[in-house]
Amino acid sequence: MPNKHTPLLSKESPWEGNSNTIWLGSTITLNRNLEKYKFPGKLPQDKRKQLISLVGKELLESPLLKKPSLLNAEDVPHVEKEFFIEHFLTTSSFQEARAGEAFVLDHSSAFLGILNVGDHLILHQIDCSEELEAAWDRLTKIESKLNESLNFAFSRRFGYLTSAPAQCGTGLVVRVFLHLPGLIYSQKLDEATKRYKEENIDQTGLQGDPTEIIGDIVAFHNRFVLGVTEENILSSLRTLTTNVMIEEKRARSNLKQEASSEMKDRISRAYAVLLHSYQIDALEAFYALSLLKLGVDLEWVTGVDHTGLNLLFFNCRRAHLLCHFSEKIVQQDLPHKRAEYIHQTLKNITLHI
Amino acid sequence: MAEKNPKNLPPADRPLECGECKKTITVRYTEIVGDTITHTNMCADCPELLRRLHGISPSEQIYGLTGQAGLACGNCGTTLEDVRRGHRLGCMECYEVFGDVIFMELQSTSRLPARLLTSKKTVPLHLGRAPGETHTISPSSRLLALNEALKETLSREDYEQAAWLRDQIKALTEESPSSQDKAEDQGKPDAQ
Repeated sequence: MPNKHTPLLSKESPWEGNSNTIWLGSTITLNRNLEKYKFPGKLPQDKRKQLISLVGKELLESPLLKKPSLLNAEDVPHVEKEFFIEHFLTTSSFQEARAGEAFVLDHSSAFLGILNVGDHLILHQIDCSEELEAAWDRLTKIESKLNESLNFAFSRRFGYLTSAPAQCGTGLVVRVFLHLPGLIYSQKLDEATKRYKEENIDQTGLQGDPTEIIGDIVAFHNRFVLGVTEENILSSLRTLTTNVMIEEKRARSNLKQEASSEMKDRISRAYAVLLHSYQIDALEAFYALSLLKLGVDLEWVTGVDHTGLNLLFFNCRRAHLLCHFSEKIVQQDLPHKRAEYIHQTLKNITLHI
Repeated sequence: MAEKNPKNLPPADRPLECGECKKTITVRYTEIVGDTITHTNMCADCPELLRRLHGISPSEQIYGLTGQAGLACGNCGTTLEDVRRGHRLGCMECYEVFGDVIFMELQSTSRLPARLLTSKKTVPLHLGRAPGETHTISPSSRLLALNEALKETLSREDYEQAAWLRDQIKALTEESPSSQDKAEDQGKPDAQ
């Protein structure tokens, strides 16, 4: 049965049933290239297609993927590509992907193979069960299986070779998305990250911008891809996120005890904006949803749970909304449709302030 | 790199980066010719900046610095100038041809751990797995992180968070008893 938003993804979605309060999700990405082929930027179109059939065939036959399917980029509508970017929380902008590029999806809706976008093969896995090591293990098994019949470009000095030198080495980028309104509104985020963040970890907002934090979601990822082991990458992110999560819980506990008028006002306003706006843009919705999620955790808001709010973080984004409605929506009607969708989803909530 | 319309500039709260090599912006170059104002954001060692200020072409500048004028990859045609400007590489042989330049670029953009910055050319920079190697990461690393955090939380006498950590540790060890054994093997007998 197809996904309710897009027929290209299966109904099964890892984001459904995600009840996490702080750790919203994580992504693991492995970049690989094949020996004997130039990297995609210098690869002629006929060779690109040859590479897609070669790598695509191996992925489609992989016993580790659930009913995989291959989609040529030119056959995927623009909005569906944008949907993939939102669903898989990718930082590579492949909404402009064209002929000679392709995607491989499987029935879990947690795996995405990207072919010929920057590198020959990008294996991408999403995880929302805080199981970084298991997600990495799954991806590595898929990669090892492919390696039985395909030779990946590798050198002793630089490791796995990628078209962007900053990603050579392990080719592994791990990203963890944490929802940190407690630290942000207590103005303790910088203090916490300064205390626990090592030089090998970078911090960005939801869309990869280092300074623009959207919806109080902070993404941490490994800065070093070369010169570190996979185990180093995973364990340093694990240590950082565990400590930051404790700081966040501590900050939320303090906010609840203090119960300041300022915080109550913020959450009440967020409630009002979400329930009574006629039109709302995605950024404003994220800002208010973050406060509402904090309100649920502080037990100041009831009638919606973290699972519902976590899903709303995805479903109120542009491509998710456009794919959700069966009728065609023009761009200027989107903020109104978003507001309507949010009203509908949050119709049972009550504010206890 | 050149932006003819100042309205196209990124918002002030975003970090500016060199349109060519992605390093941090240090120079904003404005050129007024007739009615046209051209703004260009560049890093300090941008070849484009040198060209605009002193009329030196990028290839001359590269020649001046490295003595390797016109160096290009014989397999894909990627030039030294492309690599220095942070463009994507064209093939795996680029790593042989431009190995030292790539190393310097990774060094200048802080993409290498400090201990590797002085390593010799012959020393492999890569430490992770190689093709054909199987490598499993013990799920106990999550347990180790939780135990470490528990110790710190207890030392701060924050019993509320300590209880949360204990619950997590308990759930994890009940789920997989072997994980705890591994944690204990690694010198963490206080897993519970």
